[in-house]
Amino acid sequence: MIALSVAAVLAVFLLYSSIAGGGTPSLRPSSLTGHSGKVSVTGVVLKPVTGDAHGAGLRFRLRDKNGTARVPVVYKGTVPDAFKAGGDIVVDGRFANGVFTAIPGTLITKCPSKYTPKQTT
Amino acid sequence: MPELGRAALVVCFGLALYAVVAGFWGAHTRRRRLSRSAQNALVAAFASTLVASVVLLVALARSDFAFSYVAQHTSRELPMPYKLASFYGGQEGSLLLWLLVLTGYSTAAVLLDRKAGRELVVWVVPVLGVVATFFSMLVVFVASPFHTQLANVDGAGLNSSLQSPYFQIHPPMLYLGYVGLTVPFAFAMGALLSGRTDERWIVATRRWTLAAWMFLGVGQLLGAKWAYEEVGWGGYYAWDPVENAALMPWLAATAFLHSVMVQEKKGMLKVWNMLLVMLAFSLSLFGTFLTRSGVLNSIHSFTESSIGPWFLGFICFVVAASLALLFYRLPMLRAKTKLESLVSREATFLYNNLLLVALCLTILWGVTFPILSEAVRGEAVTVGRPYYNFFFRSFGLPLLLLMGIGPLIAWRRASLSSLKRIFFGPTVFALAVGILLIALGAGSSLPGLIAYTFSAFVAATIVLEFARGTAARRTLSGDSVPRAFTSLIARNRRRYGGYVVHAAIVLLAIGIAGSSAYNTSRSARLGPGQSLKLRDYTLVYRGVTNTRSANAIEERATIDVYRGGSRIAVMHPGKNDYPVEQQVSNEVAIRSDWLTGEDLFLITEQVNGNGTIDFKAIINPLVNMIWLAGLVFVLGSVITLWPDAREEQRLAIRYGRLARAPEPQA
Amino acid sequence: MLTAALVIGALLAVAAVWFVARPFLGREPDVLPAEPPPERLALEEERDRALAALKDLEFDHRTGKISDDDYRGLVGDLRRDAAEALKALDRGTPRADARVPD
Repeated sequence: MIALSVAAVLAVFLLYSSIAGGGTPSLRPSSLTGHSGKVSVTGVVLKPVTGDAHGAGLRFRLRDKNGTARVPVVYKGTVPDAFKAGGDIVVDGRFANGVFTAIPGTLITKCPSKYTPKQTT
Repeated sequence: MPELGRAALVVCFGLALYAVVAGFWGAHTRRRRLSRSAQNALVAAFASTLVASVVLLVALARSDFAFSYVAQHTSRELPMPYKLASFYGGQEGSLLLWLLVLTGYSTAAVLLDRKAGRELVVWVVPVLGVVATFFSMLVVFVASPFHTQLANVDGAGLNSSLQSPYFQIHPPMLYLGYVGLTVPFAFAMGALLSGRTDERWIVATRRWTLAAWMFLGVGQLLGAKWAYEEVGWGGYYAWDPVENAALMPWLAATAFLHSVMVQEKKGMLKVWNMLLVMLAFSLSLFGTFLTRSGVLNSIHSFTESSIGPWFLGFICFVVAASLALLFYRLPMLRAKTKLESLVSREATFLYNNLLLVALCLTILWGVTFPILSEAVRGEAVTVGRPYYNFFFRSFGLPLLLLMGIGPLIAWRRASLSSLKRIFFGPTVFALAVGILLIALGAGSSLPGLIAYTFSAFVAATIVLEFARGTAARRTLSGDSVPRAFTSLIARNRRRYGGYVVHAAIVLLAIGIAGSSAYNTSRSARLGPGQSLKLRDYTLVYRGVTNTRSANAIEERATIDVYRGGSRIAVMHPGKNDYPVEQQVSNEVAIRSDWLTGEDLFLITEQVNGNGTIDFKAIINPLVNMIWLAGLVFVLGSVITLWPDAREEQRLAIRYGRLARAPEPQA
Repeated sequence: MLTAALVIGALLAVAAVWFVARPFLGREPDVLPAEPPPERLALEEERDRALAALKDLEFDHRTGKISDDDYRGLVGDLRRDAAEALKALDRGTPRADARVPD
């Protein structure tokens, strides 16, 4: 009896906290318009990649994984090893005036999953 | 040769299927020969899988690129240990490893568990068979490791981040853990199917569960250490879904290990234990499903991988079937005893369980939330680190405290006066430590301070337990202190082994608190001769060197480390460039200070054309406690696992010998 | 290579079939040995539990976790439980088994 009631309270709390806040929308370049707050965008890195992530900023364009929409990104901070043109990344930041300005240090490359079927490049 | 591998797996599939059909039919009609035949089929399935595994290993060792799998995951220059380890480096091979471990565990569990009694084992065999059928079906029909192709000149090579000694040990450890949870699940289902609600399924599987839990825990720590050294961002756990996939079943198994003690002592929580073992097993399946199916990138990539829907289907089947079975047998499982007092050891075990399961479900929610929100709202919303950290602290800190309280409270009910007496010493000690720490500056992080104080409390209770036990032993036997100490542990392996494991968790808590609440870092762009100061370290950049290794170009920055005016080390953080795989890996430099347990963590983020480097230095206090905790954890688990002849005999009398000689009664 | 694979494969299949069919060639009766009825096992578990509880109490008392007063208060109950469990077991068994676990 105690267990059930505690579990119920917990469930309510969890639902509340997850709906109310803390979540960051995870978007693609094509769905960025209209979001002004902090978001997470995922996509494919396009050439050319210019600039200096530890200087004025790394610049590249990010394309939808399954589409053509692209967005220019400016990123400063640590760049993971697996980062390269053609790879999948996730990065947090804000989209304004057609440019995605990333929050420093939030660039993550998708684990080159050893389990997904090998794509023909 | 690939034909042999394929044939062996088909044979395995057939045997597993036979084990299911013959096993269920034989158990249902109580026909001994059929049941024994099914059991033999399970053993033969292991032999078949072993043959298939050897075929793959040989192909990997010989770089036989006619095997697609070998071509996709290895290359000619790859060092032999990695060639062999690539067995589990890809989807098909790792499924084969799962099947191998599964059939291996099944064989061992069914052959070695005399005390389980025949009537239980005849139902366990078909349940294990069902799981084996699923996995062998996958490797035969969906993801075969034995696809062939026109042999290439050279293979694609192994992902550079996997070329680390950790790759050789971390996945096998994890699998021994994940797959090991199948055994208690099968015995639990066997108990429900046989209509027997006595404790023998728990008694029979206690050691298997402990072993699986130990491997899963060690596997995760190895993974964390690997991430710490290899991925090199200064941390060791990122609440990544793949990491959570292993943590969730481990938490469920921890809860299970504790609550079975309550069932053993009081006969309570029978239904809860069934649910927990189902949860642990389902989570282990779910975990591997998450890691393989690609479902977490986006719900749309789910269908890209062919393996996802199969796993999801099997998990749903397992959950539905086991819940239905539990519901069917519910009347038999109702306990007669109730909780007598909210302040008793049973109650603390219950609180411990609630917290562990709550943490587990919180993580599950965080992992599946993006998928659910995308399905419902069309937009995937990810929860970040703050979510996990909040709940980890909210549930973890009370759990830490309970670890110190539980062992000291009496069963049934504890009186207030005895509580005051017992907890006085450790509480005073903890408060003293807390005040001292505040004076030393630990007040900068409240969770960290609480973690340290609670750890001090628990450490004090553990030390007192050992001291009191040794003293009691001495009054009984008159032995010297060392002898009394060892005989105390030898005679009470479960209790004191458990305390050692608790000590490991305390070390873990201290390590996590230190490195996450009290770490410092600094970044700078340095030219040759320039330096960076971080706390009491001065780091001077000297230059960059390039060397060639077997399959990489190694670029290293030379950093002189000074402390207190003298040079204490020269460190070489840098990067490796792998031409064949076209990848660059970060090679961080770590210096562990054995006196303080802290790490100086150096990352060369970028080597610039003009001779400067972008450089980051981090100090992680007490992080080495985490790895030390791993060793203590293994020690404690081994002590708890160690066979106890007297206990074995007692249980054999109760379950084994009685079962062998038929009772001369109606 | 292929012939070697075929031979080993055939051997494997034959061995598997033989191993699986072996139980049917034996002489023992085809019935599972009868096991003690669940009530008996439940009683035995009850007895073991009661005795273990007493043992735990002794241990806790010896190591100083339970005071003498608390011990005196609890030991009576536990001894009674153990005695009842032993009696119930004796009643439930056709032959008087005085099998004590330790």
